Amino acid sequence: MRGTFSIQVQLLALLYLFLYAPIAYVIYVSFQKDSVWPFPPDFTLEHYADLLHLRDFHAALVNSLTIGIGTGLLSALLATIAAIGVLRYASRWRGLVAAAYLAPLFIAHLLIGIASLMFNKQLLGLPGNIGSAILANTTYATAFAFLVVLAQLAKHDWRLDEAAMVFGAPPLRAFWSVTLPLIWPSVLGAVIVSFLLAFNNLEVTFYQVGARPTLPTLAWGELRHGVSEELYALASLINAAIFLFLGALYVLLRTGALRLDYRD
Amino acid sequence: MTEAVLRLEGVTKRFGTVVAADSVDIEIGREFFSLLGPSGSGKTTMLRIIAGLEVPDLGNVRIEGRDVTRQPPYRRGVGMVFQDFLLFPHKTVAENIVFPLRMQGVPPAGRAEALGWITDLVHLKGLEGRFPHQLSGGQKQRVALARGLVSRPKLLLLDEPLANLDRELRKEMEVEIRRFQLELKIPFVYVTHNQEEALTMSDRMAIMRDGRILQVGGKLDLYHHPDLAFVAGFLGAPNVFEGKVTGLADGLAIIDWQGYPLQARAKGGLAVGQRAVCFVKSEKIELFAGTGQGRVDGVLRDAIFKGQYADYLVHLAGAREVTVSGPPRAELFAPGRPVSLSWSAEDGDAFPAGG
Repeated sequence: MRGTFSIQVQLLALLYLFLYAPIAYVIYVSFQKDSVWPFPPDFTLEHYADLLHLRDFHAALVNSLTIGIGTGLLSALLATIAAIGVLRYASRWRGLVAAAYLAPLFIAHLLIGIASLMFNKQLLGLPGNIGSAILANTTYATAFAFLVVLAQLAKHDWRLDEAAMVFGAPPLRAFWSVTLPLIWPSVLGAVIVSFLLAFNNLEVTFYQVGARPTLPTLAWGELRHGVSEELYALASLINAAIFLFLGALYVLLRTGALRLDYRD
Repeated sequence: MTEAVLRLEGVTKRFGTVVAADSVDIEIGREFFSLLGPSGSGKTTMLRIIAGLEVPDLGNVRIEGRDVTRQPPYRRGVGMVFQDFLLFPHKTVAENIVFPLRMQGVPPAGRAEALGWITDLVHLKGLEGRFPHQLSGGQKQRVALARGLVSRPKLLLLDEPLANLDRELRKEMEVEIRRFQLELKIPFVYVTHNQEEALTMSDRMAIMRDGRILQVGGKLDLYHHPDLAFVAGFLGAPNVFEGKVTGLADGLAIIDWQGYPLQARAKGGLAVGQRAVCFVKSEKIELFAGTGQGRVDGVLRDAIFKGQYADYLVHLAGAREVTVSGPPRAELFAPGRPVSLSWSAEDGDAFPAGG
């Protein structure tokens, strides 16, 4: 064979192409004057300008961030507590308890949205708002967060916590000074995953926020008038933010400013 | 033994059908005390009960006279050295060592002073800023010891702390750990399945099996005067002879083994006509070149030179092989040579067989 690249490298390139080509295309189009047939290229920034002037864009951004951050923190907290409980307290019901945490993964988001709306409104008499959107998103995000936390927590050596207790640390103090510093990467992972899920969620959020805009509901509303150019800009910006965040994390890990693991 | 610092009273603990502790009574003073037993004998459970990591089903734990049976570990004021060290991997050596002091609310100046004192004692100067994964096994061991001792605990519990170290390092640490106990006068409760460690370091020791304490006493006493066949067989490198008791007189038994009348101290209510097992430690047997009257005849199979002493493997009648330890003698480094053995009656211990 005379190929310069091995078959593995070629397969890898193909996989990345499969994953990233659509996203790259959206980013490319967001800078094009003609979004329907953007060839030959004709670069412009006007879609970004339009996006900033779009009615409700700022409110939608703030609402989405609020829902994302609220859900991220709440889900990670609940998932961490749940995972510790499942792992530390031996019980023959352990499998059932874990399965019950994961059940929301199998329920359609649309159903969670409608169900929480009906429950809140008819049984509790509560109006939908950003707070209820956070709670509704937390139901399924906790399941994802639980998986993320459980995977790493299963490797945690709980005898370290016992050691801390023998040396005078009450349970909360032991958690704070020994458990958390060792498991924070998985907790952070759970925050990020549930943040992204809630930030981008449409089906659950839609039924909770009423007339308040979020980025996905705004995009959904805009879609009724056809795919407008601002949506390409919006998608590109969200992607850019996520890539920047992950890139920053990578740099911090490479430079050793952050540590994920302690070899022992 | 001075006043008891730790007292276990009728401590019993079951895990399902397994009895890990069966009404254990122990008193430990300002001494080096070892719990010695095979794996699964319940010695680690005993240590966890003392530390407060397990609550006994029955019985009491008293530390300095106070009943701490239901007290959580963080209120007991004991130190512990764990088998896998269990150093906090995200903390430096210094942070690991002063952790107990921080939990007790000792101000930074006091912690720094204690850190200086303990790193000096355990020879860790200069490593304070390292992380556990940057340390060798022996250094980790020293950090674990320093963390256990830094707050001058009422007791130090050690759970097979040398099990993961290589032989050379183990020898060195045995001497060191003993030195710490003598200098600090803190009671050490040391759990091990390794009799060498227990015999090297302890003042007193207890032999455990199946959750029960079989015999407690000074180490020499236990070694030379076992009360039970298990203890006799567990300590030292004993040779075992099994035969019928043909005579009893003055606390000594005569056991017929392959036609030889062997003598040993009679223990455990031995009766004439009963089958008995007789234990004789390898270093208590005297080896003679050539056969001799009143001695057990055999053939030297091999002599293993260990430096200060030698192990002679002797083939006896009935395909029995025994080990005799003694000073290396040139005339005995001759495999195939006829030899004979004897020991004084007080150096053998005979117990009823099957007990």
